[in-house]
This record gives sequence, C-alpha cells and structure tokens, in this order.
Amino acid sequence: MRNLLNFLLRYINIIVFLILEGIALYWLTNGNSYHNARVVRSVQGVTRGLNERINNARTYLSLREINSGLASENSELRNRLEKMDQKGDVNFIPVDDSLFRQQYQYTSARVINNSVNRQKNYITLDKGSQQGIKVDMAVTNGKDAVGVVVGCSRNFSVAISLLNLDFRLSARLRSSGYFGSLSWDGRSYRYAVLNEIPQHISVNEGDTIETTGFSAVFPEGIEIGRVSDLKKSGSDFYKITVELFADFKKLQYVNLIGDLKRTERLELEKQFQ
Amino acid sequence: MINSILKYGLSILLLILFQILVLNNIQFSGYVNPYVYIMAILIMPSVTPAWLVLIVAFLTGLTIDLFSGSPGMHASATLLAGFARPLVLRIISPRDGYESGSSLSMAAYGFRWFIIYASVIVLIHHTTLFFLEVFRFTDFFRTIFRILVSSLFTLGFILLIEYYRKGR
Repeated sequence: MRNLLNFLLRYINIIVFLILEGIALYWLTNGNSYHNARVVRSVQGVTRGLNERINNARTYLSLREINSGLASENSELRNRLEKMDQKGDVNFIPVDDSLFRQQYQYTSARVINNSVNRQKNYITLDKGSQQGIKVDMAVTNGKDAVGVVVGCSRNFSVAISLLNLDFRLSARLRSSGYFGSLSWDGRSYRYAVLNEIPQHISVNEGDTIETTGFSAVFPEGIEIGRVSDLKKSGSDFYKITVELFADFKKLQYVNLIGDLKRTERLELEKQFQ
Repeated sequence: MINSILKYGLSILLLILFQILVLNNIQFSGYVNPYVYIMAILIMPSVTPAWLVLIVAFLTGLTIDLFSGSPGMHASATLLAGFARPLVLRIISPRDGYESGSSLSMAAYGFRWFIIYASVIVLIHHTTLFFLEVFRFTDFFRTIFRILVSSLFTLGFILLIEYYRKGR
C-alpha cells in the first residue's frame, strides 16, 4: 500500500497528464464526425449567447450594405414576378394548387457564427427545426453556393461551409456542361478547386462554374464562381482554381433551399444501388 | 498565497477573454491565427506544482475549445505545452536558478531567457494545435508554414504584453 502511494505520488504528473490528454483526444476523435457531437456541441453549447451578442454588434455596423443587397434582390424578384404575370394563358382554366409544380422551398436566416480562417469552417444559423430547417438543405448567399446544413436543434442549425476540407460539391462548367467535384484546399477563402474535368475539353479563364443538382441538395444552376487559373497536371484531368463569387468574410444573411421531392428521388435511386 | 492565486486567475481570465473577444474575431487570413492565451501557461511562477499547471492548462484549453467550437483541439495542445513546461524550465534554467514566488517574466529573467522560453512553449503548442486541426499530413509544408507565421504573431503579442507588464 505504501509502495503504491509512493508510486502514485512520484508519477502524479504523468498520470494527470495522461488522463486529461485522454479526455481531450477522445473528445477530438469522437467530435469530428460532424453529424453528432460537433453539432450538439456547437448548437447547444454554453457559448451561443455570447456569439450571438458579438454578431449582433457586427451586423449593426454593416446595415447599409445589407440594405442595398436586399434592395437589388427585391428589384430582381419584382422583375421576375412581372414576367410571370404576363404569361397567363387564357385557353386554360387556372388550377389553384401551389404545391403542384413547386420543387424547391426557400427561406432565409441570419448568420450568428462563421469563420474563414480555420481548415474546417462551419456556419451557425439562427433558425432550426422549429422554423422548418432540415438537414441537407442548401445554403446560398442569395445567388451563390455557400454550404449545406448538417445539423439542427430546435432554434439553431449548423451548416458545413464550402470552406471546409471535408466539403464536396458536384459542380459543372456552364459553357460545356462537363461536371466535376468541387472542394476547398484550405489555402485562401477566395478560391476553391474543381477536379475531374477531363483535359480534352476546352476551358477558359473566366468560365462560370455552377452546381449540377446531382446530389439532391443544391438546385441546378446555382452559381459558385469563375475559373481563375487552370493547370494540366500529370493525370488526364485539369486542376482548375475557382474564384468564389460568395464573399464568406461578410456573410450576414443566407438563403436556405429545401428540395420538396428529395425523399421521393432518393428512395427511387436507392432501389438501383 | 491567496493573493497570487487571485492575481494569476484574473490574468488568465483576461487572456482568455482577449482571445475569444478580440483575436478569434480578427480572422486576418488562414495563415495568421495568433493564440495568445497560451501565455497563461507561461507566466505561472516556477514553484507552481506540475499537476496544477496541467489542470490549469486543460481548463484554459477547454474554455477556448467551447468558445471557438472545436472539439478538444485546444485542450490537448495546451495540455501538452503545460506538460513540457517543467522540462523546458529545467533545460534553460538561469545560472542562479529560479526565485521562488516571482512570476516567470521578462522583467525578472531578461529578454534573452524569456524569448527562448516563450518560443519553445509556443512552438510546441502551435505545432500540436495546427496538426490536430488539419488531421492529415498532406500539404505538410504548408501546415509548417502556418505554424511558423502564427507563432511569430503570437510571440509578438506576448512580447507586447510583457513590455507592458515590465513598464508598470
């Protein structure tokens, strides 16, 4: 007994170190799968109140910019509405069923936590399952792709940012329609990388990159960025650097897009896999 | 005793608040992420028992983790730095040994001693932290570069704070 106590006293530092390091590493390895622990931590953590307050102050400082963004979006939507109204076809009786053709559902949310300087960035939004947010909804900044929702609590949700080493998005060249896989290389928050575009097609600097809709998350044709640089690597594929349209550093309000026919489509696809 | 516990507790709290409220919000670029809160490990007196340093390190890292939404990264990196502290202190001990009770500061042991001490601890901390963050060895040299640049900025902040403490 005495020996045991002596032993414990002598190695107390190493023992404390190993126990605490064990706890930290356990948390790290289990918390990294962003579907469970990370989201619970981030959404329900004790820190949200403070984050929200910091962000409130920041939003107030850029009201002017937000306002002008909203105004221009408003006028664009008004134009679109005008075109819709002109289309009325007198030969058919209108059917009053708003869900008949609607596939996508839009809603907006405020960003209450965001980062661009880490290797795995996430965005916290101020709406959750109670406000109709679901996992796998697409997040845009109005026009351009920004991320995908990965977890919701009752009043908050967390989206994986495009600026995350784990993020993959199916994207294509608007001009030719060839698609590849878009990811972030962790270097600059202005640029992402598009892979798997074969070298036999012509790609030019300035070509627009948009989403494909293959993954049933983003609708087709949401803009992502433009080609800013392309290299022919040793393999058969280009390595295309994409300058992102969305400015992640001043993200204040985002739009969320939910696919109403997603379950139907996934169920069908599952039968053939 | 009570007095110095209060003093260091308050300093550590201020460092954590500075990290959370100011530095975490700067987001200058992916390469420059100073983590000045590691100074909490640096300034504790040399007589502090090693297990206490470990516990303080763990709690500091844990707090930073909770506020920056990272699972256990800061806790394990700070803990490792705290574990290395007694070893580093033994290796670079000044000729006359350490005065018991006084803080490990630039004012007490000189610029040269302090910069060596601080850079070793900061490098240990940042290396662990940045590799845990990316959790892969691809782009190895880019991670090394990020570690070096961020360490320089952290050291810059630490020296500023030290000069301020010395001036008082």
